[in-house]
Parts: sequence; structure tokens; C-alpha cells
Amino acid sequence: MIPRRAFLASLLAAGAAPTLGWADVGNPSYIAAAKLGDGSFALFGLAADGAQRFQVPLPARGHAGAGHPTRAIAVAFARRPGTFALVLDCASGEVLHRLHAPDNRHFNGHGIFVDGGAVLLTAEQVSEGSAGRIGVWDADKGFKRIGEFDSHGIGPHDLRLLPDGETLVIANGGIQTDPHTRAKLNTETMRPNLTYMDQQGNVLEQYELDEDLHQNSIRHLAMREDGLIAFAMQWEGEENAAPPLLGLHRRGWDAPVLAEAPLADELAMDAYAGSVAFTGSGEEVAITSPRGGRVHRFAPDGTFLGVVSRTDVCGLATHGNGFLASDGLGGLITIENGEARPANRADCAWDNHIVPLSV
Amino acid sequence: MRIALPLCALLALAPPAMADVERALDETILPGFFSFATATEDLARDAQTGCTPEELSASYNAAYDAWMEVADLHMGPSETRALTIEFWPDTRGFTPKTLKGLIAAEDPVVDDPAAFNESSIAGRGFLALDMLLFDPDFAGYREGDYTCRLVQAVATDLAAQARLLNEEWSGTFAQTLRSAGEAGNATYLSKDEATRALYTQLVAGLEFIADTRLGRPLGTYDRPRPTRAEAYRSGRSLRNVVLALKADDALAHALADRPLPETEKAIAHALTSADRVTDPAFQDIDDPQSRIKVEVLQQAVRAVKDAVEIEIGVPMGITPGFNSQDGD
Repeated sequence: MIPRRAFLASLLAAGAAPTLGWADVGNPSYIAAAKLGDGSFALFGLAADGAQRFQVPLPARGHAGAGHPTRAIAVAFARRPGTFALVLDCASGEVLHRLHAPDNRHFNGHGIFVDGGAVLLTAEQVSEGSAGRIGVWDADKGFKRIGEFDSHGIGPHDLRLLPDGETLVIANGGIQTDPHTRAKLNTETMRPNLTYMDQQGNVLEQYELDEDLHQNSIRHLAMREDGLIAFAMQWEGEENAAPPLLGLHRRGWDAPVLAEAPLADELAMDAYAGSVAFTGSGEEVAITSPRGGRVHRFAPDGTFLGVVSRTDVCGLATHGNGFLASDGLGGLITIENGEARPANRADCAWDNHIVPLSV
Repeated sequence: MRIALPLCALLALAPPAMADVERALDETILPGFFSFATATEDLARDAQTGCTPEELSASYNAAYDAWMEVADLHMGPSETRALTIEFWPDTRGFTPKTLKGLIAAEDPVVDDPAAFNESSIAGRGFLALDMLLFDPDFAGYREGDYTCRLVQAVATDLAAQARLLNEEWSGTFAQTLRSAGEAGNATYLSKDEATRALYTQLVAGLEFIADTRLGRPLGTYDRPRPTRAEAYRSGRSLRNVVLALKADDALAHALADRPLPETEKAIAHALTSADRVTDPAFQDIDDPQSRIKVEVLQQAVRAVKDAVEIEIGVPMGITPGFNSQDGD
């Protein structure tokens, strides 16, 4: 990564707006959206210990966000299928830019900065038919739309940039949705996939699950520093099926490793994983289920390590050698070696995700 | 919603929303787990002396009755253990598959309680016993047969599970609930959260009665599914509904500690509706006359849930889960 000072200097030299850096907003480690006690919505910056560093208003319920690697700006995405995303100045709360999905495109809730923050990539779908697209926006030029490419699947939801700084990995969730209602249209025939691709739109590797798991939507991604990918799934098939909800894969593997807990634990997750994260050490990976009120921990080889119960838990992020988890009751808890500790509690309902800032 | 009381009146009547977790634990939940442990101990002992349906029905039913007092609490130690005690609904037919597999192989796992405790949850618990004791496919076994030993193993395992559940609930988990909001409690970050957790179990239990215990066998009008009824082989389906409802009634009152007129009225109506159901195993619901009575019961249970939400949930300010109801 480009050192922040050097990068800021180069920005200034190039005449870009002197937006503040993350240090200027209290060095938050995470951003997370929430619904407040009064019914309004906001995006928060959180310190490593869960303390609030900044709070900026959102016009509606958010889903996930993307933090710029150096500047104190965050992109907040509307819930899918959304047509707008906001670029927020995390110091002033000002909306710097409003990104509109082009005609016949919808945002799907996630996006990432690449090229040291120069470019924003957004997971999108063609409104009619839900064919996946990755939108390309020039973050240095007012977030101008500069292109798009095929995600090689239906309904891409989440994406990551591999450690090589070039290759993308995409979770094509496989679900075709009605552009107006979020109604799912193809759960009987869906075929989610995990796709590695370059930023010119070429597929490098692509994996589908076995036929009996074709209704397991691959939705959220986490990446270990060495490029090991963890993907969290949400089951669209019949009830009480207890499918695996976590997969692990690395480029070049023949197939993903699917991680399962014992049957009773798996059933208690209610066939739904909301978020996925690795620990900082990379020795554990976990998924959350708000429906089951559970966090399931696994070793990177897929071995089940244990469960932490917490009502409506959904957001999950790396926290030192453990995890930080957020929930709809306003709680933030840390989990280290299976030991849960309360970190903070606020009068808000934390939304689906906690997004780590890579600063 | 059929509750006529204006919301503001209810809010004015409501005591401070610090409902009583202590009372729920001490008056209904912990005594329930203790009785369940005792009843399954009797079942396991009786199975050793007589494993046939004729010999075991009474203690089987007594143990199942005791279970229904705590069956719908899927929290803490029960989050997973409830499924081991009652693996239902079994949408993919795992239980018959597992039992037939064990019997065909005469798997020696039945002679080793520790190993049996590690075996598939589909071959354990009440529904395994229900099938072994009352399904014609397994009938006719005698003392000393493999099936008899399997019945004994399931009964012994149930007692062991029940003993553990009782220990876990009365020990660490009761303490977790009682210490809600205290430093270091990462499960319940405030007193309210423990109350909320118990209330959530109450509402989920009522939904489970209506949607699953009654909804699964009802299926659709054109395609009723009587063999999807819970424990229909022993004829307990309706009894389970009634006992679960009574357990929910007790929990509601323990949580609220005040008169709940609408809830009481709704529960009385549901129990009356249950009395009118013609087959306690719901096996006659392809007859429209019989079906309608089960449908009326289902509506009555939903009315109990509505009343509980208005009389307990609203005053406590409890709304459904932010993320669990969302999905994304």
C-alpha cells in the first residue's frame, strides 16, 4: 500500500480536494450502519474497542459500506436492489457525491476500493434478469462512472481484491430478483458461483457447488492475508435442510472446502449466514446467523471449533486475534479463542455488516 | 388483530418493563427441567425391565409430557439439545433411515452409552422412540432383540441428555440469565435483553405450534399431510399442542406478573378448540369436517400469539429482530 502521507501529498500535488484522512476522524477501525433509537439511520466509525469515533446521517437503511483506504470518506450502499450510494465525508457528515446506478442497473449492497483508492468497484446487476455487473467509478474524479464488466453470474453480492492487487473474487449469489420488490424469481433453478477474474472482465477460475447445493446462495466474502477466501452462504431450498453455510477456497484448488458444524448446531443456524470474517492471526474463520442468534467458529481447514450465542448477531469483522460482532440490539462483542466479552452497547440496531478499514 | 384495547391504555397500565426473568426461571423453567430429568430417569429404568410398547407406554408418555413443559425453549443449553431430544420436523426422513440402518447392521453402538451419545441425533430422542414403539415397521420385537436394545439405548440416552440439560440450565445458564447486564456477561448486555430473550422464546413457541405442529399436517386443503403430524404414531399430536400451549401460558404469566385478560381469553378459546378436534393424531384431516376443527385451533393459537404481543411485547417495547427478519 502507498504510505498515507505520500499518497495525500500526491493527491494535493494533483490538485485533488484536500479531504481529511482517517486520523482526523479519530482513527476508526471499522465502519458500520445502524438504525438509531429515534428511527433514523446513520453510518458510524468505530474504534478497535467498539467506541464510536464518528456518526454521519444516512437517509435510509444501509447495507454495507466501503471505506477509502486513506481519505476519511466512505461509500454507503442502499439495501439491494438499490439505485443509489452515497459518498460521505466522515468528518463533516457531508454527502460529497451521490452515485446513481445507470439505467437498468441496481446496486447489490457491496463495493470495494481498488488501486489504492483511485477506483471504486460496485457489485451490481442488470435490473431485468439480474445478470451480474461490476461497476467501475473513478474515485479521484468525482466518482464518475467509467465503465462496467460482466461478473459472470447472476446477482453478484460481494467482492474482494486478492493480495496481488489485481485479481477480483466475486460471490455471484445466483438469485434473480424482481427489480422493484426484491422478490426472488429463480430459487428452483439458481446456480450461484465463486468467480476469480481480472479487471478487464476475463474469468480466471470459476466454481459452482455440487448440484444438491445449487440453492445455497454464495453471498458474502472474507479474505485472509494470503488470499484464502471464505464465503458465507444462505440457503434458498426447503426448510430444515441444514446445508453447510461456510466455504473455503484458494485459487488453484480443485473445489471449495465446505465447513459444517454437527447437525443440531447446523440446524440451529436456520440455514442462513449473514457475515463472515477471519481472525487477524488467520487461524479461525467464523460466520454469523441472525436468525439462529449464533456465531460459528471454524478452523481454516473447515473443522468446527464452537459456537457463541448472541441474539440477532449479524455483523462480523476481524478484531486482533479474534472477532468483533454486532447485533440488532446495539451490542458489540469481541470473541477471542471462543471467549465472548461485551465491548460496547448503544441505543441503536447495528445493520448487517461491520466493514474494517484497512488503515 | 382482534384486541380492542387501545394501545395507550395498555401502556398506561403496564408496570415498568423489567419483567421477571427470576420468576420465569424459578416458577416454570427450572422446575420443568427438573421434572423432565426425573421422568426420563424413570423411563430409562423402566426400559431396562420391559422394552415393548405395552410395558413402556406409560413412562414414555409421562416423560414426553414432562418434556412439553420446556420443549419450546430453544435457548442456552437447549439451543441444540432440544433437537437431540426431539428431532422434528424430520423433513428428509432421517429418523427412519437411521433406525433401519442401525437395526439392519445390528450396530453395537447401542451397547455403549458414550458412543450412542455421539451418534446421529436423528436416531435418538422421543421421535426415535415414537417410531420404534408405535410404527408397524418396527413392531413385534421381543425382549433381547436388537430393537429392544435400541429402545433401551434411546431411553438411557434421553435420561442422560435430560440430566445434562437440567444441570446446565440450573447451573451456568440460569446464572447467565440472572446476571444479565452485569460486567462480563456477553450473552445479555442488559437486564432487558434477558427478558426479551425469554419473551422471544414464548412468541416463537406459539408460532411453532400454529405453523409447524398444526401447519405441517394441515398442509393445503387439496393436499393434507397427516403423516407430517408430530408424534402421530403414539397419538400424541394434539396432546403436545395442548401441553405446549399450557407451558406458554405459564411462561407468559411468569414474565408479566399481572393479569393478562386478552391472553387468558385467547388461551381458553384455544383449549376449547382443542377439545373439539376429533382425532388426537390428526389422521382424519382429509375429511373437511375434521380439518376445519384443526384449522380453528390453528387460528386460536395465532390469536394467543397476537394477544401476547399486545399485552406483553408492546409494553416492553419489543419488536422483531432487526437483522433476523431482514435477510441480505
